Amino acid sequence: MIQLYNVYKSYNNTPALVDVSFIIKKGAFVFVTGPSGAGKSTLLKLLYRWERYDRGQVLVNGINVGKLKFNKLWQLRRHIGVIFQDYKLLPGKTILENVAFALEIVGAEKKIIRYKAWEALKDVGLSHRKDAYPLELSGGEQQRVAIARALVNNPKILLADEPTGNLDPEMASEILHLFEKANQEGTTVVFATHSQNILREGDHAVITLKRGKVADTRIVA
Amino acid sequence: MRILKTTFINIKSNKQLFFASVGTITIALSILGLFLFVYVNLNSVLSFWNEQVQLIVYLDDEISNSEKRRLEKLFSSNPEIVSFDFVSREKAWDKFQSMFSEKSSFLKGMGFNPLPASYNLKIKPSPERLNTIQTLARKLNRQTSVESVEYGEEWISRFETFMILMRVFLFALGALLCLGSVLIISNTVKLSVLSRKNEIELMLLTGATPGFIRFPFYLEGIFHGVLGAVVSLSLMKGIHLYLVSRFQGSIETFGRGMDFQFISLPFIMIILLASILMGWLGSYLSLQQFLGTYKKL
Repeated sequence: MIQLYNVYKSYNNTPALVDVSFIIKKGAFVFVTGPSGAGKSTLLKLLYRWERYDRGQVLVNGINVGKLKFNKLWQLRRHIGVIFQDYKLLPGKTILENVAFALEIVGAEKKIIRYKAWEALKDVGLSHRKDAYPLELSGGEQQRVAIARALVNNPKILLADEPTGNLDPEMASEILHLFEKANQEGTTVVFATHSQNILREGDHAVITLKRGKVADTRIVA
Repeated sequence: MRILKTTFINIKSNKQLFFASVGTITIALSILGLFLFVYVNLNSVLSFWNEQVQLIVYLDDEISNSEKRRLEKLFSSNPEIVSFDFVSREKAWDKFQSMFSEKSSFLKGMGFNPLPASYNLKIKPSPERLNTIQTLARKLNRQTSVESVEYGEEWISRFETFMILMRVFLFALGALLCLGSVLIISNTVKLSVLSRKNEIELMLLTGATPGFIRFPFYLEGIFHGVLGAVVSLSLMKGIHLYLVSRFQGSIETFGRGMDFQFISLPFIMIILLASILMGWLGSYLSLQQFLGTYKKL
């Protein structure tokens, strides 16, 4: 599902990723970990082509990411759900509208948008608050909305960049379970975190980055 | 439908800016429109005067009847000449005296008639009329017994030069004002784009097609341009109606059948099309600049 070969990426001549290679198979759940500045976020950004890499090859869902033109990026990104530490919810829309927005973007039929958005909120346990605005919710609830939004289009891959970074351990564990649930339903999950608690709690494959290099891998499924 | 909805939400969230931008475009297009209005009317004056132009062939005092017949035959055989009148020396003198009746005692005291006999030729109306007259004048000037030929060449050509200059000026002004409008629209749309930065980023992340992101902004730009054009054209029409109601009488004493012309339909269409193009271009430029930063990443 995801293949990297000798990927090198630098910012102003400072290397961020150095000769990173690994393969993540379809349906896998993989943690990417390492200290701050190790290159976790950069790695994820390369996967959904938010940034370019300098050398190497990245294949995601059979697409050669490096060769994709800007106006064709949607072909890659429609198969990927991305989740951030800061949720990236639109404050002017209700949470139902936030989830529905992801469906509108991919041109889903108007009739089914509301229903599917509501279903996605129900899956993360927030359907009763559908008319609330993001800022009226707790951090954990906002992250659940972001997950609902990322999953509503049934992506093949879910990329999460420190999704529990702002949450207390209990809430973090709850969020992790949502990712595991999506994984059980067939979604490949790449979960970047530096939290040892999360790594311990989820018994999954781990890629450890240190100063931009793969320092260790633990059973990449 | 979604595009329209998004466009109106964009406009609504930047209402003040939208009206400021439309207002500026209205002013820019109104300035252009005013000059166009003046041009169109001067042009109609020119063509009106052109219609009035007659060729006057002054004859030698000693012209014989046979020479006159030869000239008349020449006039009749020329398809460009619709009709001709012979004005004898006496008739010309009478007319001159009646025109300057207050100086009649002085004129009577002159004791002789200084005016030559002449033929007044009416030329077939055509867009090439002035050229025809010029060629004909040269030809007739070479004839024996013709003293001189006159048709007010100097002022017509001066007026025509002025109209050419006016046309160049209009083009330059139009280009400058259009450029200004494009920049204004581009800036307004840019602010609109920036105020929705998070939403656009989210669209990019979620896999929106470029069209999905761009069209509402294109429409917003086009809306700026078209609304500016419609308001300024309405203003122009208002000015036109005012001028007609107020000064139609005076302009008719200036020349029979003359009236205030409004900018013609093709010109209106050009202004509207230009405003659509300006609006689109303004949005396109700001979106290119904004999305360009994501392309480079």
